[in-house]
Amino acid sequence: MILVVGGLASGKRSYVKSEYGFSDEQISSSISENFPVLFDLQEIINTDEDSERIFPALLNKRVVICTDIGCGIVPLDPAEREKREAVGRLCIRLAREAERVVRIHCGLPQILKD
Amino acid sequence: MRTLVIGGGASGKSEYAEELFSGLSGRKYYIATMMPYGEDSLWRIEKHRQARRNRGFFTLEHYVDIGALRLPERGAALLECLGNLTANELFSRGLGEDQAFESIVAGINALALQCEDLVVVTNEVFSGGNRYDEGTLAYIRTLGRVNAAIAARFDRVFEVVCGIPAAIKG
Repeated sequence: MILVVGGLASGKRSYVKSEYGFSDEQISSSISENFPVLFDLQEIINTDEDSERIFPALLNKRVVICTDIGCGIVPLDPAEREKREAVGRLCIRLAREAERVVRIHCGLPQILKD
Repeated sequence: MRTLVIGGGASGKSEYAEELFSGLSGRKYYIATMMPYGEDSLWRIEKHRQARRNRGFFTLEHYVDIGALRLPERGAALLECLGNLTANELFSRGLGEDQAFESIVAGINALALQCEDLVVVTNEVFSGGNRYDEGTLAYIRTLGRVNAAIAARFDRVFEVVCGIPAAIKG
């Protein structure tokens, strides 16, 4: 599994398509569907329990794409804070297991682990 | 050696800074800056205390005016974090932006002179958009200035992403 992270509209999907040859049809934001690339991981995680439930399925993906949500001001809303922490912790766990970790900035890849 | 570690929320920056710190020699001082306020910060403080327990860290809780801090003896220090310190200087102590900036930078410089090795943790809070109230914008501006000033002076700067450190400097 390759983990790709980066800010909104940073070029994550374009990178995955051009670098690894996937098409739009192979990319889905739903974990239950059998697509090789998952994107918008941050949209389906609200708590650590969510992470626990889908962790094995994430490891079976070829690519997991997650938008960074931890680089703004700490949210006032406890549920938003919990989500932010849960997504961050999940990405750390995924990064440990991933064969490669890439962060996209301005459309450019920064290889954090290979 | 002076090292700055920056990362977003739940990026693994604290764990990485403590890993760096654990590898240092001499007496180890952990300087905590989070003011106990509300259930959430108590939970965080307890989480971090537990993580430090039995690692031989000598904890000093210091919320404002780091320049007044005197380490009992030379050794290594880990300060966590500039995000809290900036909020405390602006909102608890009530300093203006320039005064808060100067207090923190002078305080970190004074601290650096008292130890062989210093690791400072700071927060990446700059990529969540700019639609904030003026107080929050003042906080963002001040922390950004502090980060840049400390990064310019320090030997090494690491950004932690998904628990992985990437060198920005050094």
